[in-house]
Amino acid sequence: MPLLTFFINVFVPGKFTRSGFCAIASIAISLLCSLLIFIAMWNQPFIHVQTNWFTIGSWSLNVGILLNNLSVLMLPLVSGIALLVHIYSTKYMQGDPYLHRYWAYLGLFCFSMLGLVIADNLLLIYICWELVGFSSYLLIGFWFTRNAAVQANKKAFIMNRLGDIGFLTGIMILFSQFQTLDVISLFGEKGLVGNAIVTGGVWTSGLHHMPAGWLTFAGLAFFLGAVAKSAQFPLHTWLPDAMEGPTSVSSLIHAATMVAAGVFLLARIYPLFNDTVLIVIAATGAFTAFMAGTIALTQNDIKRILAFSTISQLGFMILAMGVGASASSLFHLGTHAFFKCLLFLGAGAIIHEMAHLKEKTGLDYDPQDIRNMGGLRKYMPVTFVTMAIASLALIAIPLTSGYLSKDAILIESFEWAEGKGGWYRLVPYSAMITSWLTAFYISRLIFKVFFGKFRLKEKVGLHHVHEAPPAMKYVLVVLSLFCLFPVFSLNPFMFEDAWVIQGFPQADNMTRINAFHTVVPAAVNLISVFLIYLCFLWYGSNKPAPDFSKNGLFKFSQQQWFFDKAYNTVFVAGVLSFSRFLYQFDLIIVDGIVNLFGTIGRGFARISDWFDRNIIDGLVNLIGYLAGKLGKLIRKFQTGRLQQYLVTMLLIILTLFIYKYYTAAI
Amino acid sequence: MNIEQIVFYFFAASVLLSAFMVVFIKNMVRSIFLFFVTLFSMAGLFVFALADFIAVTQLIVYVGGMLVLMIFAFLLSSKTILNKSEVKESNLLGLHHIPGLFIALLFFLILFITIYQANPDQLSWVNNSENVIQVNDNTIHFIGVNLMTRYLIPFEIISVLLMMALIGASHLARREKKI
Amino acid sequence: MIPLAHFMLISAALFCIGLYAVLSKRNAIMILIGIEFMLNAAILNFVAFGKYDKLHMGGQLFALFAIVLAAAAVAVSLAIILNVYTYYKNIDPTVIDQLRD
Repeated sequence: MPLLTFFINVFVPGKFTRSGFCAIASIAISLLCSLLIFIAMWNQPFIHVQTNWFTIGSWSLNVGILLNNLSVLMLPLVSGIALLVHIYSTKYMQGDPYLHRYWAYLGLFCFSMLGLVIADNLLLIYICWELVGFSSYLLIGFWFTRNAAVQANKKAFIMNRLGDIGFLTGIMILFSQFQTLDVISLFGEKGLVGNAIVTGGVWTSGLHHMPAGWLTFAGLAFFLGAVAKSAQFPLHTWLPDAMEGPTSVSSLIHAATMVAAGVFLLARIYPLFNDTVLIVIAATGAFTAFMAGTIALTQNDIKRILAFSTISQLGFMILAMGVGASASSLFHLGTHAFFKCLLFLGAGAIIHEMAHLKEKTGLDYDPQDIRNMGGLRKYMPVTFVTMAIASLALIAIPLTSGYLSKDAILIESFEWAEGKGGWYRLVPYSAMITSWLTAFYISRLIFKVFFGKFRLKEKVGLHHVHEAPPAMKYVLVVLSLFCLFPVFSLNPFMFEDAWVIQGFPQADNMTRINAFHTVVPAAVNLISVFLIYLCFLWYGSNKPAPDFSKNGLFKFSQQQWFFDKAYNTVFVAGVLSFSRFLYQFDLIIVDGIVNLFGTIGRGFARISDWFDRNIIDGLVNLIGYLAGKLGKLIRKFQTGRLQQYLVTMLLIILTLFIYKYYTAAI
Repeated sequence: MNIEQIVFYFFAASVLLSAFMVVFIKNMVRSIFLFFVTLFSMAGLFVFALADFIAVTQLIVYVGGMLVLMIFAFLLSSKTILNKSEVKESNLLGLHHIPGLFIALLFFLILFITIYQANPDQLSWVNNSENVIQVNDNTIHFIGVNLMTRYLIPFEIISVLLMMALIGASHLARREKKI
Repeated sequence: MIPLAHFMLISAALFCIGLYAVLSKRNAIMILIGIEFMLNAAILNFVAFGKYDKLHMGGQLFALFAIVLAAAAVAVSLAIILNVYTYYKNIDPTVIDQLRD
């Protein structure tokens, strides 16, 4: 079995070839291998193969492959979606002059993602983590001639660097505490983290101990890494901008796999988190989910809607991690990967057609704006059906996979909040509202795009629009199969029966409250169905668009989006009028007093002016002069001459050597 | 003082002397030929360290290959390099020589002190070593066996690297239309 | 029998001559020669200590590899020097100072 994983590692870098077929073949082989591994390894004891990488002093770093349920679940998920996206890209990216570069980047991404999944060592995970971020940077900026793409990839890279700092800090803290980076010995059943004791504000493990605050700090640092990678609240802004990349890339990286890396990391190091960190995680997840849901309501760019929806769903996963439902979180990760990938690919097909239409008719409009679409149902039936299935899964309608996973998260968060009480209940309620919002925005998208009239019809004939090419069509169909419940569980209503959930240890600190198991899904679904119907009324009918913008609810959701603008008008206007009043007050009363003081002060001022000019200015000028001289002196070192650099370097080394040597000798 | 020592110190003196000459002589062509002498004497020193194969390799690779390559590159490229290279270098104590000279001397001082203190001839693993190469040993046999067993991977990597350097060098040196 | 210390002294002297050449020569080819001196000094040390490792031949084989690597380095750096010459019409390293602020 380790041999097979080794084959994966060998085959995946083999994709750095010019042809897309090579890429597809190799990713197919790795999918096959990972499926084999998956069948052989699921619910088996983990396999851990190590080899010595390097030795520093008496400490040696072992690296290897770790296959437990978590990683064998991710392996076919990543490679399967990657395969479908590869097939899709053959058509989508057809004719691009830099196609081989695209394949190479995709190959690099798949390799690093698979490496991240099977790595058994925090350092190795970090390396793959960086590689994943780097390949995402390359792919976002794939159309590097566009200014927006370059800005977006810079933004994504910098945001991810912020997270990496957190990750690295966490690694360093753990290393200084436990002297190892091995995942198994840290987080295994009898791992060091589990055995470390927190007593009296001291965090003890074996001979090493440090203040307990460091435990929280390490947890928060790791979480910061996950926040950046999974686009959570403070650092989420890179993901919508990342939509500048090709749509197939957005679907693979920014919906299905890479953003899930943060959740994956949280799952790997789960035992590290203490209660404080878990609450932070849950709150961040809930807030992000809610915020992104409200923003998605009023966006008009089809990809941006999906991007905010992704952020919102990732918020759900993080929330689930925070409330201790790691199994449901991973389950949602799997199901979300499929349906969100499908949504993106469907959107890609639509954009593809709209762009073609634009080329043929010569009109100038944005092919990604849903206000320009409509009535596409008749022309792209397969895309319509598959995207509708994916949206239903996203809304979590029964009989879809999303129902199982999302309701699992909702129910478990309710149970968690029931155990805690108080303000903690905000978390599940906001999650529930978010899932209603989800229903609204995604059905708005579907209805606007596929129902009603084509909004550019008066200008162009629709006969140019037709179904996506077969390579794209069949991928959509395959993905939509994965959105249905039988793939994950035979019982469409009970999430506990899903095999993914059963493959992970259940969180035992929660009491099962049966009421939630019926009330929550029912409430979610009833209101969701109602919202879908509402959407249909508003956006699905043939009435022209301006009718909806007068609707109060629409305005309300628009104000949600301009939340900060509303703040601006209320507060800034208030402050301005208040300050005008103060100004008047100043002018009349305060100024009178001030003027009085002023005349007295002027006398003092004359004296101090003289003092300033001659003594203080002199000092300041002296300092400025010295700084300028120093700068000029330092500037002279930057001669650009290699030999002088070499001389300086050697001189410093020699000085240090002599200093160390003779202080040691004496 | 027996004949072995005399020959050894002769070679050592020739190495150091010719190296000095290489560095301080002004004519480029002469100093490159003196470099040849240095390398030749180095090969002689290798023989005294009982490494005859290394000495032969030194002669073949350095003297036979590299030096010829250098002189060819030097002479074939253009005459202007030759002319330019004979810029009049200021004398030994010129301003720009001082830092180099200072650091080199300091380095030598430190190395000298370190060698003196380390006293390599009294190291325990040197004195107690079981497998010292004898004068009449056939080192080539050992080198061949080790190269193909213990050091096989470095050997392969080196060969690939050599090929890469070859391709890279020829790519860099090819005459381009415009730069 | 030549003492090890003498080998080391010779190599130290050669190293310092090479260092001087690298640091203060006004000609890229002379700098290259200086680098070769330093490499040779290192190789001499390897060989001298390799005498005490008959079984594995660590020192001598390392010296062998170093010689080969030096040959590769010289080939590449000569090519670079030629390119620099065609670009700047000069091989004086003090003239090539585009890294200056």
